Amino acid sequence: MDGATPVDGPTPLEGAAMTRGKPFLGLAPYGLLFAAFGLFPLAYALVLSFLSYNPLRPDLVRWVGLDNYVRALASPSFWHALGTTAIFVLGTLPVTLVLAYGVAALLGRARRGEGFFRAAIFFPATLSMVVVSLVFKSLYAEEGLLNGWLAALGLPSVHWLLDVRLALPSIMAMDVWASVGYYAILMLAARKTLPEEQLEAARLEGIPALLVERKIVLPHLRPVLLFVVLLNTIRAFQIFIEPFVLTRGGPLESTLTLVYHLYDRAFYHFEMGYASAIAFLLLLLVGLILIAQRRLLGRGAAGAPAA
Amino acid sequence: MSARKAGTGTYAALTAIAILSLAPLLYMARVSLGKGGDLPIAPADWFGRPLSLEHYRDLFSGGPMARFTLNSIIVTGIAVPIQILLAAAAGHALARARFVGRGVFLALATAFLILPRQVTLVPLYLLLATFGLLDTYAALILPHLADPFGILFMAHYYQTMSPELEQAARTDGWSPGAIFWRIVLPLSGPGLAVVGVNGFLITWNAFLHPLVLTTSESMRTLPVGLALFAQSEHRVDWGALLAGSTIATAPVLIAFAFFQRQIVEGVLKGSGR
Repeated sequence: MDGATPVDGPTPLEGAAMTRGKPFLGLAPYGLLFAAFGLFPLAYALVLSFLSYNPLRPDLVRWVGLDNYVRALASPSFWHALGTTAIFVLGTLPVTLVLAYGVAALLGRARRGEGFFRAAIFFPATLSMVVVSLVFKSLYAEEGLLNGWLAALGLPSVHWLLDVRLALPSIMAMDVWASVGYYAILMLAARKTLPEEQLEAARLEGIPALLVERKIVLPHLRPVLLFVVLLNTIRAFQIFIEPFVLTRGGPLESTLTLVYHLYDRAFYHFEMGYASAIAFLLLLLVGLILIAQRRLLGRGAAGAPAA
Repeated sequence: MSARKAGTGTYAALTAIAILSLAPLLYMARVSLGKGGDLPIAPADWFGRPLSLEHYRDLFSGGPMARFTLNSIIVTGIAVPIQILLAAAAGHALARARFVGRGVFLALATAFLILPRQVTLVPLYLLLATFGLLDTYAALILPHLADPFGILFMAHYYQTMSPELEQAARTDGWSPGAIFWRIVLPLSGPGLAVVGVNGFLITWNAFLHPLVLTTSESMRTLPVGLALFAQSEHRVDWGALLAGSTIATAPVLIAFAFFQRQIVEGVLKGSGR
């Protein structure tokens, strides 16, 4: 599965089956759609990011060069949204990673009922984030389950989503709940390919389980761990639905993420050029982080046994 | 697999995690099957109160929920079969033929796999607006058809499939079309199941694009309709909201029950971002 990770770049598709042929009948329909709704919008977004563009005032559209970028980098709102997103990413990623690792280890040890446990743990990851957010909105509500239980214990109720200090952590907790199963399944699949004889030999020699985990299992899981970190980073940077449904970016913009900021600029203020510049800054940032992560964590991954 | 004995501790922990994982969803279903707008707090409320379809009846009598559901079904029902056909046709072409620009195409498609989708949100909005397609089913469907996951997945799939049968048919004078429809497609079931079920999940659950590309209530899909419904209410009707959420979840549960293995395979190959 190592070669199948999209972050590895295009896997060479070469083989004896290749023929020189006319592939265009098969490729053309998708090729046209990809060009129209993939490549063209990407190029258009880049052009837009250099324009002042309000769709309601086409007469005022003009080239502004790097002004949108300069304006974003000088804007407190941009940095605030970036900071909120960074807190979200840095707060959820390690927790999700550790929990998913533990859950995968437990699933890997289960003999009977593994299928049930795997399904139960993985299912939430396939749900619409809107549904997840609505369910947690009901749990976090002033009159909701969590406050009901606190009251039953004689404790004062907590304003999970209305308190500036608690809203973002509440969303982060929900997000961890919703994504642990996803990453646990990825890690479980890699665990299934562990070298059986090596583990058996280690056990017969009486090597402690934790040492086996560290010396044999962890190196083996390295490629999938890198994949999970990259994927989780990409996804976390795009967080939007959760604050949109739970808090509308509030209270006091404490949950206003980068994509929410982009959405707000583009579709409430109609600053489409500026919003496109934010999108490219997001793209640039995610790209740089992915490269940095590959450099840092990818070291040694090449030497690890391929999953 | 490790042959370590799984002790009681392992099963106790797994059971606790499974409960934690499913409890919020069972709670959602329980609230949706209750009466009135308040949330049941105590376990006695969950099990003691009578079950009722009141919220579902209210949702579908006059409210826009029936329309949201219909829209989601239409969009998914059109987009997913087209995605499957595109993936088979383009994937097969990429796997079998060598041509100029093939490497570039593969590189671009792979780059799009990890590209944050928000980058193309604004231009897609302007593009569809230019052609008067905002707030139409076309706006809800077309962007999904450009997703490169299925094409790349099927290209790999065909790469591992022996071309002998196709070559024999070509020697016998079959046309490329006949070879594709009568030989390639019938052998593509397992791969197309992965493409189809993952395409279904992504299309059914899509939110940001449908939110932006539709403006009238009658064009909202389920996730968008539910999210805006939750925002618009001053006093939230939890029963109705969670009944709508349950409706949005039911098809996902059914897909999961039948295609869990294919969903996992899609995840492993990078279908989600």
